[in-house]
Amino acid sequence: MSTDQLAGPDARSPMRAALARPGSRRSRRPRSLRARRTGAFYVFAGPWLLGFLAMTVFPLGYALWLSFTNSDGLSPNARFVGLSNYREVFTDPETLASLGRTGLFTVITVPLTIAAGLLLAVLLNQPIRARGVFRTLVYLPAVVPPVGSALVFKLIFDRDSGSANGLLDLFGVNGLSWLADPYARWVLITLTVWGCGNVMIISLAGLQDIPAELLDAARMDGASWWQSFTRITLPLLSPVLFFQLITQIIATLQSFLPLLISVDPTPKGVGAVPESNQLIMIDVFTQYFSNGRYGYASALLWVLFAFVMAVTFVVFKLSRGVVFYSVDPEQTQNKPRTIGDS
Amino acid sequence: MPVAPRSSLDRRRFLTASAGAAFTAAALPGCASSVDSGGGAKGAKETLTIMDVAWEKKDKQKAEQELGMNLNIVTYDVTKLNAMLAGNNPPDVVRGIGATDVPYFAARGLMADLDTYFAKSDVLKPSDLAAANDVWRYDSETRKQGTGPRYGMAKDYSQDCMFWYRTDMFEAAGLELPSDTEPLSCDEWLDLGKRLVKRRLGKVKVYGLSAGPVVAPLTTIMWMTASAGGSLFAEDLATVDFSSPEALKALQWYLDYAKADIGPSVVNPNPDGWDWPTYQANRMAMANDGYWFGGTIGGDAKIAEVSRFAPAPQLGSNRVSPCFGGTGYWVPKGAKNKDTAWKYFEWYFGGKLAQDRATTGWGIPSLKSLVPKMPQDTAFHKQSYEVQQRELPHFSVLPVSPYAQVDALNVVLTKVLPDAVKSGTAAGKIADALNSRINDQLARGKELVG
Repeated sequence: MSTDQLAGPDARSPMRAALARPGSRRSRRPRSLRARRTGAFYVFAGPWLLGFLAMTVFPLGYALWLSFTNSDGLSPNARFVGLSNYREVFTDPETLASLGRTGLFTVITVPLTIAAGLLLAVLLNQPIRARGVFRTLVYLPAVVPPVGSALVFKLIFDRDSGSANGLLDLFGVNGLSWLADPYARWVLITLTVWGCGNVMIISLAGLQDIPAELLDAARMDGASWWQSFTRITLPLLSPVLFFQLITQIIATLQSFLPLLISVDPTPKGVGAVPESNQLIMIDVFTQYFSNGRYGYASALLWVLFAFVMAVTFVVFKLSRGVVFYSVDPEQTQNKPRTIGDS
Repeated sequence: MPVAPRSSLDRRRFLTASAGAAFTAAALPGCASSVDSGGGAKGAKETLTIMDVAWEKKDKQKAEQELGMNLNIVTYDVTKLNAMLAGNNPPDVVRGIGATDVPYFAARGLMADLDTYFAKSDVLKPSDLAAANDVWRYDSETRKQGTGPRYGMAKDYSQDCMFWYRTDMFEAAGLELPSDTEPLSCDEWLDLGKRLVKRRLGKVKVYGLSAGPVVAPLTTIMWMTASAGGSLFAEDLATVDFSSPEALKALQWYLDYAKADIGPSVVNPNPDGWDWPTYQANRMAMANDGYWFGGTIGGDAKIAEVSRFAPAPQLGSNRVSPCFGGTGYWVPKGAKNKDTAWKYFEWYFGGKLAQDRATTGWGIPSLKSLVPKMPQDTAFHKQSYEVQQRELPHFSVLPVSPYAQVDALNVVLTKVLPDAVKSGTAAGKIADALNSRINDQLARGKELVG
């Protein structure tokens, strides 16, 4: 008996035999490609995912559980209190006032920051001398740590020894209590807008992405600078501005460090933040670390989270028809492309 | 032909496994904490974990050499401490403020009773402990601070309601210097502040008086109430009463001080956060700080030459001069290396380091035997030493409530007082608001402590 006979009819056709055997090279090839892709997914996504689960999902879940208790983190008699912390959030006039102040602060600072950043980006996109130096200088405040900026502002605006009142003094004008109400809010807004370098850099990148031919063509057609800016530049820049609007809203609703501009950043010091600057994160910090009300503070955080989500959703809805994409996001969304797609 | 089972992990399984791994990873430190590591391998050095302000590398190396142990210094952070305590994995030694930390932590059963260690020690004998160490005592039966087991020890202390003043500014204003022996009344003190203040175009160029810690007016009001013969806290420490005649008088004094705008207050905080920079810059005539402040003044010969120390002013006839600090160390109940922690205590509080500390003037030594080492070599040091010695008999522990952290109560004051000062609200109405808000806090705390 020949070996061929022993092996059966397929053995005479190596190709067919290879296809028939599950572990053969030929049959593995398509799976191998898929396995490689899957492997790449796990390798790249794995560390982030583990971090996300351990550092975000777990703490969030823990905070959610805490929000249904009266825990202070240390006492032995903490107990489940149901929704009472959430009820308190929505009935406590101080919390509601701080939420209101947070909303007002966001409504004022976000448009101002984006407008200031855009204005600077437009100016620094002009062909001027030492443009790089100016760009660096304007961006510099954005890289100063928030605590550093707050300290500098504290020194500038101190009533008795600050340079702002020193300047007024030169003109014989009475000094103001900048870091107390009613001026503290405006100093905080100035501090926030002062850090508009990030917006400027992203807007500048967006401006440089606008094809020069479009602007040249408009100019040749007799469009003024303003017409070109409002009809070409702004629409093409709108996805960039929208991205910044969303990220700025989320960041501003969670503002914390700049609020410590006039106080000692400790549990007892935070209580001395002027009333107009007592935004929701000050309330959260005070409840956690001064009052030791872990349960209530966790409920506050979850309410803030829901508030941020709701605001973001509303802004997304309102943006339809205002933001112009050169590629329709709906189409690209339905057909994802991954590595290896042909 | 049967399809071979998929050998590779699909995404859904991966996500499930990752979640499991993450939760396991998060739980691991908790499990690890329940395993007593002891002193490590035989012959290996012990490691003591201390939560403290940052140490310089050379200080740490020197301490390790002298103690024959490894030190793991964890920078003090109250949130981290709470997390470690809650996870039953606390440091072995924790820095703390005796006057305000002890009731809160001891009532929650988080501090180790050190009485047996003190009883056995040849270095830290109870008979040698200064009275200020009583701020580290807490009686869990009566829930009172100042008596009961010792839960820690002060490295040094001050009677925090005394004050320093600038003789040059008094002379320039044509004012008589305060007595070294007789305390001023609080009204006289405020009046002096008003006379010493210098203003220009709405700004205070020279503060007449800096009274009490700006972000912690509670202790100022507690002290003045006690001086007037009352007590801010009720007997069981579960409520406050700002409406009592004594407390109301103290509150009124603070409101008058803040309204007078003669120094940093809750309405106009000092940007430096403490008095020294302003005092040194010739912009403060009187600073309400204890003996420790002399450590900074003593470092500047020019300022020392024109500075003097004075007894704590009194609001009433009951002379009290409390300590609201007593910074030192304590050992958590769940600490794994208590014996090693005590070795550190003896080295830090009773060894050469303590002797050196006593000579600096940065506080009154917490051991009576070290008091003669306090600096007395210059006229400045001699005057402050003598005033301090005369003040010691008036030391008292003013207990704070175990049902809330003092910071939490101060936050209520710093929220309520600025508006009240600006609007000119009557002290009685402010007292009612403070009673309501603070008593709510204390009630919540009492429910938790049981």
